[in-house]
Amino acid sequence: MNSKIWKLVIGIALLSLLITACGSAATPQAPTAPATTAPVVTEAPSATSEPPIKVGASLPLTGNFSAPGTAAQKGYQLWADMVNKSGGLLGRQVEFVIYDNASNPDTAVADYERLITQDKVDLVVGPFSSKLVIPTSEVAAKYGYAFPEPAGGAPNVFNRGLTNIFFAQPAPSVDQAIPFAKYVLSLPADSRPKTFAVITGDDPFSVSVVESVQKLLTDGGLTMVLKEVYPADTKDFSSLAAKVADKNPDLIIGGTQFEDSVGQIKAYQQAGYQPRGAMFTTGPSLPKEFSEALGTATEGVFAPISWFEASTIKTNPEFVKAYHDKYGSEPIAEDSANAFTVGQVLQQAVENIQSVDNAKLIEEMHKATFTTVVGPLSFDALGQPKGSFMVLQWQGGKIVIVGPDYAKQADPIWPKPQW
Amino acid sequence: MTIPSFHLFVQTLILGGLVGGVYALMASGLTLIFGVMRVINVAHGAFLILGAYITYELFQYFKIDPIASILITMPVFFGAGWLIQRYMLSRIANPEQTSVLVTFALALVLEGILGFIFQTTARMVTPSYTSDAFIFATYRFPVTRLIGFGTALLIILLLYLILQYTNLGRAIRATTQDPRAAQLMGINTSMISAFTFALGLSTAAAGGSLLSIIYSFNPSSQADWIARTLSIIVLGGMGSIPGALIAALTLGVMEQMTSIVVTLYWSPIVFYFFLFFTLIIRPQGLLGEIIREKG
Repeated sequence: MNSKIWKLVIGIALLSLLITACGSAATPQAPTAPATTAPVVTEAPSATSEPPIKVGASLPLTGNFSAPGTAAQKGYQLWADMVNKSGGLLGRQVEFVIYDNASNPDTAVADYERLITQDKVDLVVGPFSSKLVIPTSEVAAKYGYAFPEPAGGAPNVFNRGLTNIFFAQPAPSVDQAIPFAKYVLSLPADSRPKTFAVITGDDPFSVSVVESVQKLLTDGGLTMVLKEVYPADTKDFSSLAAKVADKNPDLIIGGTQFEDSVGQIKAYQQAGYQPRGAMFTTGPSLPKEFSEALGTATEGVFAPISWFEASTIKTNPEFVKAYHDKYGSEPIAEDSANAFTVGQVLQQAVENIQSVDNAKLIEEMHKATFTTVVGPLSFDALGQPKGSFMVLQWQGGKIVIVGPDYAKQADPIWPKPQW
Repeated sequence: MTIPSFHLFVQTLILGGLVGGVYALMASGLTLIFGVMRVINVAHGAFLILGAYITYELFQYFKIDPIASILITMPVFFGAGWLIQRYMLSRIANPEQTSVLVTFALALVLEGILGFIFQTTARMVTPSYTSDAFIFATYRFPVTRLIGFGTALLIILLLYLILQYTNLGRAIRATTQDPRAAQLMGINTSMISAFTFALGLSTAAAGGSLLSIIYSFNPSSQADWIARTLSIIVLGGMGSIPGALIAALTLGVMEQMTSIVVTLYWSPIVFYFFLFFTLIIRPQGLLGEIIREKG
């Protein structure tokens, strides 16, 4: 009798634990409460009667993309704060509803469905990275929402006949590393690399960036000695690194997000592979996380970048100051700036047409040129931006812009020191 | 398909062997528990990840070396294992059939709690020697893997010595062979079961600490690890520790070799193909004994 009761109690306890556990794992993070995140301007005189403009987003705050996802959230939040401090958008306060999709495309899709149909947000902005932008932009398109987004620049983002996407970086991903490839090809013959390897994660963004570099370098006379595409969730890079070390190419081109850029470099260190040059698509552009994970091994690593902190382009100094006032003195991640850019595009489009009507917004975003922290931004019919990226290099533990000439802060170091 | 050079071939054998040793430690506890209790501890992977997180926290906040933290995590897991066996598993009416459900539930609960506390961001413990490698005749032995391999073999050896040469070990083996006969000989089999489960979990603690310096992990990694360790003990023969060692080394080498010769995508496919093939020819696994149902 006694043991039966015990079994029942344990059974119920287990069941309830299970339910709560599953619940906490599956439900997205509660929307950030507007009352706590909005600045102290709750008594904005003109805004009291009007309801706030709700802007929805689902971001990868946890999981593989959590580092850039969290950076994007800061950019969005900062933009909303700055708008609200200056009297709001169309005289109304901006309120963000943000869910965590744990870097999972299925969750991200469900989140945008929920934002549009249940939370009834007025506007939506995109998540981080092509992998999540591709499925979620379809949701936005289904409901006729404009979808300005900070980080989805792969070819598949633009080739599905959607007209509601606006990629708020200076260039689509196939063009992002062109300045780096040009730099490599401009090196004098005696120091120019002769061989290279392409090691990329199976991700639409990474693959498209590295394949365009691959083409330019091959056309420029370099020999590709190895190309490997690894599953996106790869944790063990040791055998890949052994394979790379065996071929010992002069230049390594890594198609990475963040975790895998760190994983690759650590494995190369263990394998004793010392290239003369190294470029990774994303990862090195995260000023804090990249150096925390790798220490001095960052020295000399290249990456394409859309924005840099010291830029004096219109609105950028204000953004940089407000960022440090809000989040402290840590260096700003590119992804925060890209998310802020999305806010700027959205804000100017709304102000231009004096409405939050999404159909009209889409029309306006195709026509206008926007003043943003990455420079003047305009979009073609597919939503692809018409600008160019820059080249960054890690020097002395910091990100430095080494090209093109108009943005240059220092000369590139070549060959790179050992990692 | 690429045919590796001789140097790359040997280097890959080394990497695979080193990682196989760590796999062996992770699987040894699982196979031990099955051998004695006929219980498949599906929560083993979750306990590995729990061990990895504890190691991570100890390293972050107290700067305790991940290998040294094994001395802390092993006793803690031993105690936890004892309690789980005494107050959960031993109360199940028909453990051989229903324990899978209970331990599966335990795995889900642990994953949920870890997810709640640590989120899903991938973590890794990075002591100062993370990127170092020991070089012998132009072949490279990454320090973290070398330490992992050495520690794993040491613990497996200890486990083996306990089982072979102590009275406790004899009692465990007797319980493995025939619980009823063991009981009639005066062995307190319920205590032996609790001890075995505790011992098995403490190897998961050590395995988790080693995992944390070699791989990045998050709460959902537990599913990968239980799949991997279960495959190892099935291949090696359920209940056999030497079998688990051989199977783990096989898996380690096969994984690395496949990624060199074909691509990383093929690593799991090749291993599972090998596993199915082995089971067709030798259903009891490499070193397993055919278990007869006792009436």
